Amino acid sequence: MNYDVIVIGGGPAGYVAAIRSGQLGHKTLLLEKDKLGGMCLNWGCIPSKALLESAKKLVEVQRAEEFGVTGIDVDKVGFDWTKAASRAERLVKRLSKGVESLLKKNGVETEIGKAVLNSPNEVLVNNRLLTTRFVILATGSLPMPIEGDVFSVKDLYPFKELLKQKSLPKRPLILGDGPSAIEMAQFFSMVNAQPLLVTFSERLVSMADPYISEVIGRQLQKSRVMVKAFSDLAWNNAKRLVHHDNWNFEYDALINLADRQAVLPETKGFSLDLHQGFLQTNEHLQTSQKTIYAVGDVNGLSIFAHAASAQGLFAVNHLSGVQGLYPPKAIPLNLYTYPEIAQVGYGEHQLKKLGIEYKTADFPLSANGKAMAEGQVDGTVRIHYEPRYGEILGVIIVAPQATDMIAEAVSLIELEATVADVARMVHAHPTISEVMMEAAFIAIDAPIHR
Amino acid sequence: MNYIFKFPDIGEGIHEGRIVKWYVNKGQSIRSGDPVVKMETDKVVTDIPSPRDGTIVSRHGSEGELVNVGDALVEIALLGESEQTASSETKASHVAIVEEKGFGVVGKLEVAGDSAYLPVSEEGRLIRSDGVAGLKKKVLATPTARAMAKDMGVDINAISGSGPAGRVVKNDILRAVDGSSKIPIPKSAGEQLPELESPAVTLEPLTQIRKTIARNMIRSKQSAAHMTVFEQVEVDRLVDLRKRLNDKLSEKEMRLTYLPFILKAVGAALTQYPRLNSQMDMEKEQLIIHHDVHISIAIDTPDGLMVPVVRDVNRKGLLALASEMAVLAHKAQLRTLQLADFQGGTFTVTNYGAIGGTYGVPVINYPQAAILGIGRIMKSPVVRGDQLAIGYLMPLSLSVDHRIVDGAESARFIRRVMDFLSEPDSLLLV
Repeated sequence: MNYDVIVIGGGPAGYVAAIRSGQLGHKTLLLEKDKLGGMCLNWGCIPSKALLESAKKLVEVQRAEEFGVTGIDVDKVGFDWTKAASRAERLVKRLSKGVESLLKKNGVETEIGKAVLNSPNEVLVNNRLLTTRFVILATGSLPMPIEGDVFSVKDLYPFKELLKQKSLPKRPLILGDGPSAIEMAQFFSMVNAQPLLVTFSERLVSMADPYISEVIGRQLQKSRVMVKAFSDLAWNNAKRLVHHDNWNFEYDALINLADRQAVLPETKGFSLDLHQGFLQTNEHLQTSQKTIYAVGDVNGLSIFAHAASAQGLFAVNHLSGVQGLYPPKAIPLNLYTYPEIAQVGYGEHQLKKLGIEYKTADFPLSANGKAMAEGQVDGTVRIHYEPRYGEILGVIIVAPQATDMIAEAVSLIELEATVADVARMVHAHPTISEVMMEAAFIAIDAPIHR
Repeated sequence: MNYIFKFPDIGEGIHEGRIVKWYVNKGQSIRSGDPVVKMETDKVVTDIPSPRDGTIVSRHGSEGELVNVGDALVEIALLGESEQTASSETKASHVAIVEEKGFGVVGKLEVAGDSAYLPVSEEGRLIRSDGVAGLKKKVLATPTARAMAKDMGVDINAISGSGPAGRVVKNDILRAVDGSSKIPIPKSAGEQLPELESPAVTLEPLTQIRKTIARNMIRSKQSAAHMTVFEQVEVDRLVDLRKRLNDKLSEKEMRLTYLPFILKAVGAALTQYPRLNSQMDMEKEQLIIHHDVHISIAIDTPDGLMVPVVRDVNRKGLLALASEMAVLAHKAQLRTLQLADFQGGTFTVTNYGAIGGTYGVPVINYPQAAILGIGRIMKSPVVRGDQLAIGYLMPLSLSVDHRIVDGAESARFIRRVMDFLSEPDSLLLV
């Protein structure tokens, strides 16, 4: 055998798996066909967060006068797309270097090239045939082509292409209703473009608690994002026009952030079982070939990078003989909207579907001192809890730093904490995190600031 | 109002019992103190009395069924109170009621001391999540699992956690309540346990008593610092004295064994060396020295070792001790000993000499400080003056907890016991 483990795909599932594999002393090779860090680092989570931060700065500067800042001529404040995009690129490069050195430091060999599985224990890459005990497939996903022949392909580009644009689209049409589509729609509105969000599901971010869909609906309305259902629209490709009755919208860019499909590895002489287009895995994340694991987007279990990384670690542990538990109970769902939204644990729709008895306690940011001082009172914390013992079943946070604050709730749910525990835990004052404690006080029927 | 009578936490770490026999039926009226059910626990077969007057509304569990502490036994419609919703009193409040009225065995058990027969692991007491004093260490468990265990009367410490680092999680409690939770026996690396019945082995499920013995022995060995001294004492005069007394008693068809003499000798020596009649409380960093001498007697029964207690040895005569021991032995064979019979021992005597043994390294009846093993009295060559003679020698094996008792002190103590046994007349002077 040339290797103990060959990891195919260098995104957050693959590179994390490779690092752990190297740490455990396995002879490890990481194959990546494009760039280390994958979709998340190069064309997804990281650059989009950099762009969103630029937009947030713009909004904050526009509001600065309210906080006593002088010398800002709001009419002159503007947004330089090239600068924002190149900042994002620099950031990506730095992080990418970091990944590269971590792999090296942990004894992982890396190679750029497209991998083909010649057999369950053989990988063909750059005209070489390599043998390995285990393969970890972390090939990720790509935007799924939109059904129906409404677009000319050249107009439709994924987020990956956005960063390459010379100028900022003024009237982008964004396809999708998941977290990244919502985030981009809001981004464009914050930098004074006029985005149209074209949705497919009945509600926005349908995987999340219905309350989140409501909040997002309000946020989009407030930031003047137009939202239309795909099924309501008629298309005129030639004129780059969509219309609905008398209303029409001329777009200068089409960004496909709708459903994604697995990037399936090429196999020769054998096949891997699929489930709804993704690689089927068992509870150990093994595919139908036991020596081949599938982690990250390619197995269709989650769309989140943090889940992908957790799966990568799990797979390496498993092939090393360490029995673990996957999935962890608490995988947070983050939306980098303005303000941010985060959820962990069960949403109300799941609790209802599963017939789990629950109660909900919530507390608004408008009653929180820190939020008021920051001028960001739009938000709330909601806790779904089991009424008998008070176990926390789900938490939703809408707040400026919700995506960071959710970490507390992840611990609480993973450790089966109860609302009484949270009420007892001292939360520093003044912080927005106090809202969590206040909601817990309400749950145990002992509210302080209400 | 209806009262739900749950299988009480009778202390001593018991967390389950088997229903042997129901004394009550649905619709039957019951008075407080009347037996509700005969229950086999780790230690005894005992009757559980009703804490209240009333009528039995429902009965839970059938004969032969295993029930956990905290499981409902019966629902009683209380006398003189209008029927309303059943009070789902917590275990704690229930126990309080039982205690307050002090019914039979249950009441006594709850307030019983710590030094019962081969006391089981302290864990049961330590881990009790209901705030009972003595909470020292906690099993790793999630808050929800704790709340559920408390509510459902599950001994969380008896549950093997499936969470990270062995943490007891919600599902473990649910499984325990379902009865599908088997407490896995930790296997040491390389240990091969045959998994299936085969011609080479017979698999025998552990009885409650065997489980208790196993737990207690391990606890003693892990907690006490065992040290054993061996002696032999010439007991010609004791042999002679016993013979003379038995001649006299034969008219009354009574007969003394050596054991009452040994108990008297031990009792007298313990008053002089009280540290051997003590126990260590590491928590409070103190020694509990007992003023009374209650000697536990190891009794071999078909079901396993039982160690009931002969109380106030120093205040009783040989005949009283002899008849008391006979009663305990009889009860042990019939398994009708009550929990109270096991409790309060301060020192243990084990007489394997009766079966023919000579020396042994007895395991201390933790948390007691010492145990004396008696071997078979044998005719042996002895040196008297410069002459070789034939004498009766009794082998003695004394195990002490070296944390409490030093070597010199144990030597002095056993020397004192030997003095009494070799000069039994001197027992008249104590």
